[in-house]
Amino acid sequence: MIEFLQVILAVIVLLGAFATALSRDPFNKLIALGVMIGGIMPFIVDRGYLDVAVVVALVAPVTTIFVLTLAWRRDEHGA
Amino acid sequence: MLADYEQVLIAAVICWLLFVTIDVLFRLPEKGGVSGASAIGKKIEADGGDLHGGYMMGNIVSSPDASAGTLLAACGVYVAGLPGGLAAAVLVYIGNRICHDPGYAGTTGAVLASLMVAGLAGIGFAPENFIAGMVIAILTIQGLSHRYASRLLGSLWGWRS
Amino acid sequence: MAELIALYICGVIALFAALRCLIEKDTYLKLPYLNVMNFAVAGIIVLVLNHPLSLLAAVAYFVGSTLEANAIASAKAGGVQND
Repeated sequence: MIEFLQVILAVIVLLGAFATALSRDPFNKLIALGVMIGGIMPFIVDRGYLDVAVVVALVAPVTTIFVLTLAWRRDEHGA
Repeated sequence: MLADYEQVLIAAVICWLLFVTIDVLFRLPEKGGVSGASAIGKKIEADGGDLHGGYMMGNIVSSPDASAGTLLAACGVYVAGLPGGLAAAVLVYIGNRICHDPGYAGTTGAVLASLMVAGLAGIGFAPENFIAGMVIAILTIQGLSHRYASRLLGSLWGWRS
Repeated sequence: MAELIALYICGVIALFAALRCLIEKDTYLKLPYLNVMNFAVAGIIVLVLNHPLSLLAAVAYFVGSTLEANAIASAKAGGVQND
């Protein structure tokens, strides 16, 4: 991978991580987590671990759906 | 043989025309397919845009339609030639079914785009320039200004219906 | 090195879209910027490694992130309607 792309993707990962840590709203937190995972994916592919990349790409949205279900239930009972 | 940046610009214009035409022909701006797409359209209208353009942008966000088909078909032609593009069309159809969508727009876009990219690769266009061109085309629709992009799409939809 | 210019364009657009996505305040208006970043990352995945399985990885990433955006938008819209 060329150096320019490494710098840009590292900036995306760091920005996504800080935004995930700092945001309050659960939906905004999940969107920032999606930005972070999008920055990580090309690093996995660059090493040649394509099977790992497919598994990560399929597990991440399932995790998001589980977290959304949990957040929705907590709001419903908390209100 | 054109230079690379000229090829990217020409590919961006061709991809923009292809996916906007297919999306408007398959009536994506008519209504939001899922409740999230309708909510995005109404939010864009509340911000000063057009309702039908907002519905189309919401549909692009919430299911892989002709724009995703064009990008993935260009990727398929880049890795494996014309059979790769058709394999990408099958995968886009499966992805559409996962996202609760009929899948006609995405599959049609992928098949037409793979034929177009493979045909233009024969006369000197490189397939990777179509990937860059499609990313530029989706940036002009979804990433620069929601208000003016939705007005442009809404006027195209008014001309269609 | 024809794919170099395509990689530069995809990288710059991915960074631009990620910045606009994180700066934007409203949840619904964040999602189109996230979609632009997903397009750029799917292009980068294929351009970085030219192998038939990387097409499968790009499609899996794109469909997965689209499903994620769909779930976030629909959950937020449904929650607002129920309240």
